[in-house]
Amino acid sequence: MTEKPLLSVDRLSVDFKLKSGLFGSRTLSAVRDVSFDIERGKTFGLVGESGSGKSTIGRAVLRLVQASAGRIEFDGHDVTAFGRATPLAFRRDVQVVFQDPMSSLNPRQTVGTTLGQAIDRHRPMPAQRREKEIAKLVDSVGLAAYQAQRLPHELSGGQRQRVAIARALAVQPRLIVCDEPVSALDVSTQAQVINLLVDLQREFGLSYLFIAHNLDVVRHVSHRIGVLYLGRLVEVGPAEQVHEAPRHPYTRMLMASTLVADPQVQALRTQERRQQIRAELPSPLAPPPGCAFHTRCAWAEARCRGEMPQLAAAGGGVEAGCLRLSAVAATPQGQLPVRGDAVVRQIEEVNA
Amino acid sequence: MSDVATLPPVHSAAPDDNARLPRKSPWRLLSRPFALLPASFLLLVLVCAVGAPWIAPHDPFTPAIRHRLEAPGATYWLGTDDLGRDMLSRLIFGARTALLASFESVGIGLAAGVSLGLLAGYVGGWLDRVAMRLADVMQSIPAVLLALALIGVLGKGLGNAMLAVGLIFAVSFLRITRAVVLAEREQLYVDAARVLGLRPAAIMLRQILPNVSGPLIVQASISLGTALLIEAMLSFLGVGADSTQVSWGSMLETARQFQSEQPLLPVVPGLAITLTVLSFNLLGDTLRDALLPGGASQTRTAVRLPAGTAATAAADADAPTPADTLLELRQLSVRAAVGGGEAELLSQVSLHLRRGEVLGLVGESGCGKSMTANAILGLLPRGAQIAGGSVRLGGTELVGLPEEALRHIRGRRIGMVFQDPNAALSPVHTIGTQLCDIVRAHSKLNHAQALARAVELLDLVGVPDPARRLQDYPHQFSGGMAQRVVIAGALACEPELLIADEPTTALDVTIQAQVLDLLADLRQRLGMSVLLITHDLGVVADLCDRVAVMYAGQIVETGSVQETLTAPRHPYTAALLDAMPRGRADARLSTIAGRVPPAWAWPHGCRFHPRCAHAVAACAQQPVALEDGVRCIRADELRNARTPIDIREVAA
Repeated sequence: MTEKPLLSVDRLSVDFKLKSGLFGSRTLSAVRDVSFDIERGKTFGLVGESGSGKSTIGRAVLRLVQASAGRIEFDGHDVTAFGRATPLAFRRDVQVVFQDPMSSLNPRQTVGTTLGQAIDRHRPMPAQRREKEIAKLVDSVGLAAYQAQRLPHELSGGQRQRVAIARALAVQPRLIVCDEPVSALDVSTQAQVINLLVDLQREFGLSYLFIAHNLDVVRHVSHRIGVLYLGRLVEVGPAEQVHEAPRHPYTRMLMASTLVADPQVQALRTQERRQQIRAELPSPLAPPPGCAFHTRCAWAEARCRGEMPQLAAAGGGVEAGCLRLSAVAATPQGQLPVRGDAVVRQIEEVNA
Repeated sequence: MSDVATLPPVHSAAPDDNARLPRKSPWRLLSRPFALLPASFLLLVLVCAVGAPWIAPHDPFTPAIRHRLEAPGATYWLGTDDLGRDMLSRLIFGARTALLASFESVGIGLAAGVSLGLLAGYVGGWLDRVAMRLADVMQSIPAVLLALALIGVLGKGLGNAMLAVGLIFAVSFLRITRAVVLAEREQLYVDAARVLGLRPAAIMLRQILPNVSGPLIVQASISLGTALLIEAMLSFLGVGADSTQVSWGSMLETARQFQSEQPLLPVVPGLAITLTVLSFNLLGDTLRDALLPGGASQTRTAVRLPAGTAATAAADADAPTPADTLLELRQLSVRAAVGGGEAELLSQVSLHLRRGEVLGLVGESGCGKSMTANAILGLLPRGAQIAGGSVRLGGTELVGLPEEALRHIRGRRIGMVFQDPNAALSPVHTIGTQLCDIVRAHSKLNHAQALARAVELLDLVGVPDPARRLQDYPHQFSGGMAQRVVIAGALACEPELLIADEPTTALDVTIQAQVLDLLADLRQRLGMSVLLITHDLGVVADLCDRVAVMYAGQIVETGSVQETLTAPRHPYTAALLDAMPRGRADARLSTIAGRVPPAWAWPHGCRFHPRCAHAVAACAQQPVALEDGVRCIRADELRNARTPIDIREVAA
């Protein structure tokens, strides 16, 4: 593709200063050296556990948090260089849909007021035309016209999420950051919202940054997927490759942990999952040295805690950051290697 | 996801919103006596204040020494004062001064406090620090002292005095506004407004301010009363209202001097002050209940039930249950009073759970899954009651047991795990204390033994280093570990049955997997039965032996997980399965049109028929019985068709 990507994130890092005790402060590196592109009309999916920094990346793109290092380029403009005030044009181009549709809508504003406000700010128009525009928006997200008069608490979870999507659409954006947009919804409602997002993408040529923790959901909507672990991308590539043939041990772990309603498939996933090492996600304040995943990795060896793997081509257009890629690839699903005692001891020493 | 939430039809109301509930209106308040009385009294005071020159029967200023200190009579209804002026007229003009002073000070307080509070809360930084230190200083000065000081500087007059009072009031308005703004600023809708590029002023005034209005109105109402008291006090001391104004406070001062001659004098202004202040306070309380969340106003709005909605279900054939059945529900029905009528929340739910078995109870929110669990435990929400059927736990009938006996069964024979581990643990007690309390509540162990048992329990659920972690507080545990602690608590008395209500919904996928593995492991080691409530069919596929699918208060399909998930017989089960993304791109997900109707509007006939892709006219005719584990009159027909897609094509 010769066209420049719509959004280009280049070695993005985000640090937070945390207060500790009365005077001290500690730095939390929420995101480190993350790079990815989003093409026009395409969806980039970001997966990871809570604390992996996936929402922080979304918020950095939205300029709700400040990047500590790296560049975010939107349509040729350096977003990180905007300074304090964000240009209105950028606000119009990049919109957001949050996870919790209850708290992301103002409880005291009707659907119509919420949408009208967005229109007024970016596309001022006479009241009559605005009413028509609101009706069109409400209709485009599959709500009935009378629901424009409703307050958020009078709607169901799925309907609220539709309103949040309508609000984003109101300003005719080019990129929408979807931060766990379906995690809080029932399965049937989740399917409706996913279909809506896919339809809107086709209709308006929208790009999405789709953030979620369920790999199956992300696979369904994304063209490319990035897998985050403790603030770093550990695998990135075409969606079907990452989903069907995960290269990185962490992606395999996520896949094995993702539940599916098919007893046969699930049995295989359960089998692999139960062989995994039982360790909690380390604190992002003190990530393990070397490859941050080595404490939970079945393939880890001594050098994994000494050497930080870089993203490298892993076939099929996928890049993965792992020193043991060939060993991982040689292991069939459901049969994880048993770690030798020596490795376990070394890793325990590090953790102690 | 709590199905309990659907009981009061407050928010999640109405199919397609046709039967929409009325919005909260301030006028609604007037239907209550405690609001009506103070409100009408204040209205009377207001009318007096505005219309004083026209209402007052006499001139309140001109002395008439002839009528000095007269008792109430035909001409002077409330008598006269020491200069022969009509008390009633003075009272009416006094209302004018009182309200003017109150409104002035509260107005100043609101204007200064709210604007500074909005800025301090929203902008933060140095502005916030300066504002808060200023507030600290202001709050340490007595209002009367500041009033006297301001009068000393600016000159005598009620206006200056009330300016001082207003400044003091501003502090409390500032604090309230700032606190609410700080909380609201973190809400996602504020982030969304920023992403929309709305100006800070617009975000503050149009987005945040309306959410502060509730507490402000309450505080303003109470401040009005306080201001009135201060005005009366200042006038009594002679530094408030001057001779051109009539004040209830100065009337009291006069009364003090001539009380021996005319005992009625102090009663009139005294009563006026007391009643007005009381009315402001009562109104403030009522407004608080109505406007602030958690107030007593959470009354249920009445929804009239259409006649005959609680359609009686067809009798289900009771299948014989296996011999090692631990829990058996037979025709369990739960009804609740909803508004003026009654709704059937559960309709003849029958299911059984064998020893050592895991049964999944699935369905969308609002289908009655949690209600079923609550009915088993005897923990139905207020207004709901078991209308029929039985719940047997290992030979004990639970329906109709006295509360005391049920309490023994809960915890001892049935353990319970809920969705949000952090809501189930008390944040102010250590894990050790909480686990010990649970252990000792149901056993005769002493403290040391209970502690040892707590360590054992934590070890059982895989919390590393359990002895040390007993000293930790819940916030020191990650979500997955906290859920393990909750499970440990549920296992304290080695229950035969564990009821887990969405135990992994709030957790990350990897943590969810660990908790599911823990449950599987516990079942194997302890031979425990588990009733697992979930909306995720993936959880069912992973952990359960059998599954019961609920829709609209009924079981619509039961069977082994293997058969039900690979070859669903009820269209609802099939639709739920189809709606799950399975990692195929570009295939549209099937959806189920509409949503679960509320309990007072269960459809007639098959309750799923309005949303069913395979519904025919016969489906709406009469209630469908559960036969051979499926509640669908077309089950056999649909089974013969190869895939659901074929049928849809035939239908189209």
